[in-house]
Amino acid sequence: MINLAQKDIKHTFGKFIVTAMGVGMLLGIVLIMIGVYRGMIVDAKVLLDDLKADLWIVQEDTLGPFAESSRVHEDLKNSVHVIDGVKKSVGITFQNLQLISKTKPVRVVAVGFDPYDTINPINPARLVEGDMLRKDHYEIVVSDNIGFKLGEEIPIGRNIYKVVGVTHGTVSSGGDPLVYISLKDAQELQFSYSNNRIRSDRARGIKDSTTNMPMVNAIIATVRLGYDIDSVANNIRQTLHKSVYTKDEQKDILTKNLIERASKQIGLFTAILVVVSTIIIALIIYTMTLEKMKEISIMKLIGIPNSMIMKMIVQETLLLGFLAFIFGNLFSHLIYGRFPKRVVLEISDAWMLFIIIMVASILASLIGIKKVINADPAAAIGG
Amino acid sequence: MAKQAIKVENLVKHFGKGDSLVRVIEGANFQVDKGELVALIAPSGAGKTTLLMMIGCVEEPTSGKIYLGDELVYDNRWLTKEQRKIRREKIGFIFQAHYLIPFLNVIENVTLVPQTNGVPQKEAEAFAMELLDYFDIADKAHNMSSELSGGQNQRVAIARALANKPQIILADEPTAALDSERSVSVVKMLKKIAMDQDVAIIMVTHDEDMLPFCDRILKIENKKVVSHDVPKNKDVI
Repeated sequence: MINLAQKDIKHTFGKFIVTAMGVGMLLGIVLIMIGVYRGMIVDAKVLLDDLKADLWIVQEDTLGPFAESSRVHEDLKNSVHVIDGVKKSVGITFQNLQLISKTKPVRVVAVGFDPYDTINPINPARLVEGDMLRKDHYEIVVSDNIGFKLGEEIPIGRNIYKVVGVTHGTVSSGGDPLVYISLKDAQELQFSYSNNRIRSDRARGIKDSTTNMPMVNAIIATVRLGYDIDSVANNIRQTLHKSVYTKDEQKDILTKNLIERASKQIGLFTAILVVVSTIIIALIIYTMTLEKMKEISIMKLIGIPNSMIMKMIVQETLLLGFLAFIFGNLFSHLIYGRFPKRVVLEISDAWMLFIIIMVASILASLIGIKKVINADPAAAIGG
Repeated sequence: MAKQAIKVENLVKHFGKGDSLVRVIEGANFQVDKGELVALIAPSGAGKTTLLMMIGCVEEPTSGKIYLGDELVYDNRWLTKEQRKIRREKIGFIFQAHYLIPFLNVIENVTLVPQTNGVPQKEAEAFAMELLDYFDIADKAHNMSSELSGGQNQRVAIARALANKPQIILADEPTAALDSERSVSVVKMLKKIAMDQDVAIIMVTHDEDMLPFCDRILKIENKKVVSHDVPKNKDVI
């Protein structure tokens, strides 16, 4: 039996492929959009996963440093440490920095931690060059995507920092590259006032700010084996400090609270793109059907059943959708690495899009089918 | 075996209604027998194509009866919902232009209808090759219609009309796009087909030179169909 769709596509192969490529690029953008969302989720969890902290003790009545400004006294770690079940507790800071590189300023998030303690936010698996921080001052470990090389010196604040290590794939919840500095340097950068400010404070009769207790953005703690993390968290809440979050609660804050709006925005944008793609496929199929109306009328006139002509339309539409999906995948895989923020392309998303596009293609073919059903065979010979 | 291929009784066709009513055919009565090549003539707009399309189960008449062979297909209404099946199995169409399907090659165009009727591909292709050979275009079997001349395409179109072994061929000005030499060739070919394959052919034409090759002339006069003999200088093939 002659396959009309196959013959028609063969006849207009170039045009069909170019059309599929065009729609495919649109679908590629859809996949990239989904990948951006997935990337946001992954980015949000990188630091949390690398820290391996079980508990987050943050400024009271706040959600913690990822969500809002949070400051606690560093010595709170000592009080936390004596709570039953707590294995270790350390102070940690997070702050945005603008590093001056040779080409352009780079925005990063600096993680300040005690390099001599055992809770280390630098995941050894991500360290691709150099070493961990070994000193209290003026060393920095940078992410490989900000352009600094091992041994390079970077001016930050009033001091010069030396790059001692380079990591890969380390980003903040907002997608900015991470750098790591010692807690003391971080405290100085974040909490120390300039000489002018200190003089100004003194003139106002404010107590000498340089003698203030050291602050951190949060205390992170690990829980001893055999202890329930939630129970230890409750214990801290009841006896010491009420704003305590477990690692899972921090993840929820990151994924549900912080990137929820962004993900909704991307989700809406993706949905619109899918609808636009469907409309474009429908328009293409409609145009392709219109171009064949004379042939369709002739076929109806010589007795070819509607089912055979409709099969041609549906097969062409499905093939167009399928090829567009393949091209979309190729396109997205070709370009995703060029995006400045992480784009995660997952097979499950591709399959979901495949199903959506196939359903959309079938819906789009209905327009062509309606045209076929209404085609007047007498039109073949001009009435 | 009955000779009747087409029989039309009191066939009426009106378009529109009320003030815009157009009466095209008013009570047509005629019969065409198997093996006959009949010319259908009338001035432009008189309803030749409409009559052809009614016989071809494409255009619904307003009233009357149409027999194709012994089968009554229209009796003030279509007696079957599958007019397209009737067209596919009993009728071959030839048009002014060849109207081949441009994305099918010659042999695919010729075998499309038989294959749709359930004839196995090999059998349909073998018969199609016989037809193409008959029309001297067997060497073009795998060419696209765009690669053929107008005359060659028209011969393919005739082969397509014959491929389903029809009882009736309805030809709507099949020679209009051809020069006189090719026109004569096509009409002689139709006459030979009518005789050889016992097919009834109604051919709409404006070309009086073609009439001598026909067995009879049907003329639409005053919205009626009147049968005439052919001119005396009829050429026998």
